[in-house]
Parts: sequence; structure tokens; C-alpha cells
Amino acid sequence: MAEKRPVVLTDLMSMARPSPELRKRISASLPGKADFCLQCARCTSGCTAMRLLELKPHEIVALVRLGFVEELISSKSIWDCALCLKCVEKCPQEVAPAELIMALRNEAVARELEVPERLSAMLMSILESGLAFGPRKRTARDGRSYGREDLGLPEVRVGLSEAAVMALMDLLGGA
Amino acid sequence: MFICHCGLNIAGVVDVERVRELVRGLPCVVVCEDYPYMCSEPGQALIRERVREHALDRVVVAACSPSMHEPTFRRAIEEAGLNPYLLEMANIREQCSWVHAHEPERATEKAFELIRMAVAKAKELEPLEPKRLEVERSALIIGGGIAGITAALDLADSGLQVYLVERAPSIGGHMAMLDKTFPTLDCAACILTPKMVALAKHPNVRLLTYSEVKEVRATEGGFEVLVLRKPRFVREDACTGCGACVERCPVEVPSEFDAGLGPRKAIYIPFPQAIPKVATIDDEHCIRCGLCERVCEAGAIDFGQEAREEALKVGAIVVATGLRLLDPRSLPEYALLGDGTNIITHLQLERLLSSSGPTGGRVLRPSDGLEPRSVVFLTCVGSRDECVNPYCCRIGCSIAVKQALMVKERIGEEADVFVCFIDMRTYGRGLEEFYRRAREAGVRFIRGSPAEVEALPDGSIRLVVFDQATWKLLEIRADLLVLIAGLLPPEGLEALASAMKLPLGPDGFLSEAHPKLRPAETPIRGIFLAGACQGPKDIVETTAHASAAAMKAASMLMKGYVLVEPYTAVVEEERCRGCGRCEEVCDFGAISVEERDGRLIAHVNEALCQGCGSCAVRCPTGAVTIRHFKPRQVIAQVAAAVG
Repeated sequence: MAEKRPVVLTDLMSMARPSPELRKRISASLPGKADFCLQCARCTSGCTAMRLLELKPHEIVALVRLGFVEELISSKSIWDCALCLKCVEKCPQEVAPAELIMALRNEAVARELEVPERLSAMLMSILESGLAFGPRKRTARDGRSYGREDLGLPEVRVGLSEAAVMALMDLLGGA
Repeated sequence: MFICHCGLNIAGVVDVERVRELVRGLPCVVVCEDYPYMCSEPGQALIRERVREHALDRVVVAACSPSMHEPTFRRAIEEAGLNPYLLEMANIREQCSWVHAHEPERATEKAFELIRMAVAKAKELEPLEPKRLEVERSALIIGGGIAGITAALDLADSGLQVYLVERAPSIGGHMAMLDKTFPTLDCAACILTPKMVALAKHPNVRLLTYSEVKEVRATEGGFEVLVLRKPRFVREDACTGCGACVERCPVEVPSEFDAGLGPRKAIYIPFPQAIPKVATIDDEHCIRCGLCERVCEAGAIDFGQEAREEALKVGAIVVATGLRLLDPRSLPEYALLGDGTNIITHLQLERLLSSSGPTGGRVLRPSDGLEPRSVVFLTCVGSRDECVNPYCCRIGCSIAVKQALMVKERIGEEADVFVCFIDMRTYGRGLEEFYRRAREAGVRFIRGSPAEVEALPDGSIRLVVFDQATWKLLEIRADLLVLIAGLLPPEGLEALASAMKLPLGPDGFLSEAHPKLRPAETPIRGIFLAGACQGPKDIVETTAHASAAAMKAASMLMKGYVLVEPYTAVVEEERCRGCGRCEEVCDFGAISVEERDGRLIAHVNEALCQGCGSCAVRCPTGAVTIRHFKPRQVIAQVAAAVG
């Protein structure tokens, strides 16, 4: 049956079709394989960000397994993951959903899709200070606010050397 | 009188001490003691000591069901010098403490009542001796699949004469039709055919292929079996299996061995390794053109052959009749799909995968002979369905995993292979790993079962299935759809069961004597079960079951006799008036009216009598009674209950 083949799989809710090539590319770099997933949903049972996620970790894995990757790359859920890695630790089949989510994020960034603002702000902060969250005042249980100076801590040195930024970019695999 | 606590099973509900004190007050009770585990060695020692010490002449044990420990306590009193049948058991566990766990007061009362009844019956007990029956040292195996072959070889190897009856022209059964076996992917024929050859060459085995069991009659030494030898119209002793006749035959019909996917001739040898390797003429389709006769150099064709009957005498029977596939076209979902569509059963795919199959081992779809690029497997077709088979076929998931892997291997990695399942039940050793291997190979497993299947004009199949993992309604277009068909009892099992008086379960498969402790035995002495006739099994389970059946049969046959309970019917000749009603109701042909000294009197064949009591109930004069359950004994018990 060499000649024209009908499309094998269609999602009748969105008429989406799987993208096997993309799926292959995304999975290739990963230590775990979505194929092994048994849908036990232990990843979702223990997920820190479960309540925030429109698509739960086990669903994300299932979508990748069938090749429905496009909708994931543009999905908000991949950015809501806290990357706590609990799912990686708990998975009985060594699927590593968080790694998969990272790969999907990288694909989104590569396509220059919009990254949620809080995350780009975080990125900027890292580039500026090396910290995901800059020094902030915190309110303690006694009702008073404390900053580093209130606790006699030295000021955080702000700013990275150019070399450090380059090294960081290198590490993140971006340019 | 001895009362068992059975740990807390009895004593946790029944106030054993109170019962003991009450029982001590009963007339004729000399001793009454209780003990935590009467069945333990110290418990039995207690019984033995008291029997000797007090010269007891009857013993009552209040404990579990007699089906558990009656033999234990009988042995105990026998060791103490008492006839073992002078024991009566009161079941105060299954029939009292277990069912009345929430009402200890009344359970205690009931325990005492049950004991009072047992004591009343014990007074009327008579010493009895078990019957010794000599048995024929030979066995009949019904069915020549892997179960029958295994059981036959085991029995023959232990030196017993074995007859194997197979209704098909060759032994081999379903296993011979398989390509590979899960989870090792051993070639099925490679591991089966050596056993087939060993069987055919065994000096203790007689193969009766193309034959059917017509009648089974219990006799003193076992069974008399009438076997119908269907005519092959080919002389087995002359045919060399050269196949010249097959080549010449002009008639083609769908081959049973290829599950209907390929043709065979009207004269045929089902498969290359068939045993016996002789041709068989299918009388239904043969047009008697005589071409085969003309080319047969051995002169083996014999159109004059007729069906004949052969009587066998055997001591044991092993039923190994296997199973059959459910025809998916009997289901409403597939009823309207005609033949020649690209929807096949797993057994048909097995033939496509097999190198001896119609495509020489290439997976080609039936409609156009092209290689499919997308293959979908559906599990539980007719299984786990309250309208069809409520039960699980047990092996379907493993078959789907195996075949999905095989299809990937044959067609190539780029083939889209899906398995739509309800639950994935790959439960055996090595099978979880096997399932993982299939996932690694890229087989897509979808949890969900399609509601409808549509055959499209281009030969492809359209399925719509809701995937519970992605919450998507998926449309799958497949070039080939493989149905993992449900498994049913074989054709004719009901008739065979009724001929042998074997009970069938609600699923139509044969029932074993005890699901845990006697899985290869039946309630009928001397009849054993091997393999899938007792419920679907994989090959591993089948051979284990078959060897168990053979062991059970051998242990009976090698000893040469069996001891049976003496609970048989007895006729009080003075009261019998020869009316013959007992004969009418006996299911076992064990009682018959015979003329003796000029008058008609019922006579019991104790070897056949099962002690069911039908005759005793039917007898209008009360001449027939059952030993150990005589009216006097039962009435004493009833009187104690109501008195």
C-alpha cells in the first residue's frame, strides 16, 4: 500500500492530527520515554502544581505518546509546571514528565512563542542578579516586615559579569 | 464428644465452654472436651486417648465442615481401634459461627442444637468398610491439543496404556495453528511438533484421530467408551502422506487450519507436520471424481470406507477438549460486515503470521493482498460483556501484545499499530516485561473501546474511540482490524458433559471438583480435566493443568484400585416388590430390577452407585436405603432437632 495513505489518526474534537516527526524530535533528547507510560497517574497524584494545570502531567505524557505535540507547545500548562521533579521521582516507568515539559518549553521558546510574563521577568532577574527572585522583604509571624538589612545580612551583589551571562546562556543552550 | 475452637473461627463467636457444659448433660455422652485446634496432632492425640481410656463406641466432633477434616478424625478413631464410620461431625463453623458472627448468643444455642442432633445420629451409626474397586490400568484422553498431548505423554511415560481420541484429522489443536508463543516468542510448531512425534511413536499410545467419543458408560473397573471412527476414505496404514492426491484434487474449500483464510482441497493433509501424516477426504465436499485414486501410488484411497464404532475399556478419562473462538459476526457490531473485509480474528492473524499459512508468513490484508500500514487490535471482543461472555478470556491481552509486536516486526517500524483495550491484563511471568517491550517498540496502547466499527469502500476500517488518557475522541483509519475474539467452550462439550455426567459452570466450561484444592479432578471418580475445557488458559497453564490431571489419573491407575465410601444403596429384599421405579430415577445406571428366584428384585451395582439417594426417596415400600443415611439415622437426627 505504497501510494497515498489516508490519515491514520484524527482528534475529532479539534480535528487535530498527530505530528510524528515533532514527537520523535522532542522525545529523542529525553532520558525517559513517554511510550512506557502506563497511565497510573502517580505523577498527577503527587503534582505540586496540579491545581494550576489545565492538562495534568499524565495527560501531557499521553498526548506526546500519541503525537499530539502541537497543542502542547502552545499550551499554558507547560509553563505552570513548578519543575519540582516530584513526577520524575515518583514515576514507576521512569517516564520523567517534567523533563518532557522542559523539552516542550524549549520547543516553544525556539519558535519564539510568547512566554508568560512572570517567567520572562524571572529570566531577566537571573540575568541581572543570578537570582530567580531578587531580595525582598518578608513579613514574619510577629507581623513585622524584615529585609536583609534588618537581619544584619550583607547586600546582595547585583549584576553578573558578561562572561557569567555567556556561560549561563551556554548552559541553557540558547543564544 | 469433642469441640474444636478452630482458633477464633468458632470460639470467637460460640461460647465453647457453655456448649461443653450443656453437652456434658446429654444422655450417653461419656466425655466432652474442647481444644483450640482439634485437627492438630495434640488434638487428635486427645481423641485417641479418650477413646481408649473410656472405651468409647461412638465419637462426635463439633468443628468445621466434614469436607475438611472428616478423614482426619476418622483416621484418629481408627488408630484408637474404633471403626472409622462410627464418627459423626457437627459443623459448627461454616453452618454456625461463620454465618452467625453477629449473634453470638444464638450461635451458641445453635451450636448446641447441632451437636445434640449429631449425638442422636451417632447413637444409630453402624460400622462400615470402604469399598475397594479394581480399576483398568488404561486411560482415555479426549482431545489432541497441547493439553491432551501433554496428559497422554505423561500417562504413557508412567507405563500406562493410553488412547487419545481427536476429532480432527490430525492432533495438534490450536497450538499447531499459532506462529509464536508469548512472552518468549518461541516458535509454536518448534516446541509442539516434537511432542506430537513423541506421542505418535510411543509404544503405550494409540491415536484415534478423526474420531469422536459417542458414549461413556461407567463400569466396575472404570468406563466403557464407544468411539465413532469417521471414515477418511484413505487407508491410514497405506497412505504415505506424499500429497500427490491433494495436488490433483480439483475441489477447493476454506481451510479450517488456516481459520478460513486460505483454501484447502477436498482431500487434504491439514498442515505439513500433521500427525498422522495421512490424507483425509472431506466427504461433504468430495465430488468423487476419482482423480486422487488414480494418482495414489500406494493405492490408499478407499471410497468404500464406512463409519465404524470401537469400544474401549479404560480406568480413567482425561477430558482435554480445549476451546473455540467466538465468531465476531455473531455480535451486532460485526454482524453486517460481510466476508472478505479486512476485519479478522486473532487466530486468522496467527495464520497470516505463520510461515505455513496462506501468505507464507506475510501480513497481507484479505481484500486486496496488500500489506497494511496501519493495524488496530481490539481486545475483549465478546469478552467481559454481560450480553455475550461475562468472563475475561484471560489470554487476549497477551495475544494482542504479542501480535502487535509481531506486526511491527514484519511490516516495519513505520507501521502504525494500535491496541484498544479496556484493561491490560498481561498477568503471567515475563508478560509485564513483554508489554513494556511492545510499548518500547512503539505500539500505541489506547484505553478505550470503540462503539462502532465501519468498513469503508476503499477497504479501510474506520473506528471512533474515546481515549481516556488524552480525553480525545479519536478517529482511527486502519488498513487491517484484528479482533481479539472471546473464547467459548468447544462445540459439543455440553453433550459430552451430559454423557459423562460432568457439571458445567455458568460459562459453559467444565467444573472442577474444587477450585483451589482439586483443580484437575471432577466430581466423578476417574474423570479428570486438562487445559481449556475447564476455562480459557494459556499454554503454560494448560500444560501444568494437563500434567496435574495425568498425575491424578496415574496415581489412581498405578495403584490399581480405589477405595470408595460405602455410602451406597442397599435393598431389603423382603420389602422390594420389583416395581422398577428406582431404576427409572437412577442417573448412574447403578440399580436395576432383576429376576431372582422367580421374582423381580432391585439389585445395586455398588461400583456405580454414587449414594445420591434418588432411589431411596422414590421407593414406595422403603426397601431401598442408603448406608450411613438410613431413615433410622436421619430420623433420630431430625427428632433431636424438633424434640
